[in-house]
Amino acid sequence: MKKEEIIQKLTTIVKPYIQNEEGFKNMSEETDFINDLEINSANLVDIILDVEDEFDIHIDNDSMEKMLSVKATVGIIQDKMNA
Amino acid sequence: MLRIGNDIVDLNLAKTQSNWQRPGFLEKQFTQKEQAAILKSENPFEQVWLFWSMKEAAYKCHVQQFQKRFFAPKIFLCKILSNQSGIVQFNNVFYYIKYRISNNYIYTTATEKNDIKMVSESFFIDNNLNTTKIIDKKIQTYFSSVVQIKKNALGIPFIYQNDEKTPKTLSKTHHGNYGAFAFILDNES
Repeated sequence: MKKEEIIQKLTTIVKPYIQNEEGFKNMSEETDFINDLEINSANLVDIILDVEDEFDIHIDNDSMEKMLSVKATVGIIQDKMNA
Repeated sequence: MLRIGNDIVDLNLAKTQSNWQRPGFLEKQFTQKEQAAILKSENPFEQVWLFWSMKEAAYKCHVQQFQKRFFAPKIFLCKILSNQSGIVQFNNVFYYIKYRISNNYIYTTATEKNDIKMVSESFFIDNNLNTTKIIDKKIQTYFSSVVQIKKNALGIPFIYQNDEKTPKTLSKTHHGNYGAFAFILDNES
């Protein structure tokens, strides 16, 4: 799956959890879930579960540790889908 | 220098913002032991958010110490010691937890040593618009001269006086209608 397509799906996934509209409008690869979108850290778990469902992958603890930004998350999704 | 972390959970918001019974939710962030404690608790919902708040407060303390952000709630191991204290273990580092549960919120602080002298206050916030301002104003009341609160790139807040960073370690937290802060006294040495 192309990076752009993953980011698009990820945008839909994070939408219900964002608390900073401005940050969401400008969401890009560089976006940080907590600093830019002000997502509550408890909701990061929801995002991880949603990502697993949407892309039909399993996210292990080591990967989860890095999932604070769009860039890191896209990388992990690509790795898992290609594995 | 001693560090501090704190965390507040608005229980009414937690009810709607997260579904702890969602498949996978507990498994991703709690150890087997913690999951068992949650499931046999008289109030599983409250137990989930107490553990979560302990992990979050300990994580904030940890980030100040190790200067690196990550998301790994499962490796912060919670142990309840009493109805107001506990311990969180991260590898071989221990964080000392004090907590308070009211009908509306859970408030937790984590420090590197037990019984550290700290200032901490939790409060109701009427609306969410100017949360940062409200919390910073409350902190100001503990100082005779003007202070500024600035966060660094890791999101760690610091207290500045006359544009100079003070050695006091500070932690701020906000969730829904509640906010809090905690800082360590006598951290100058």
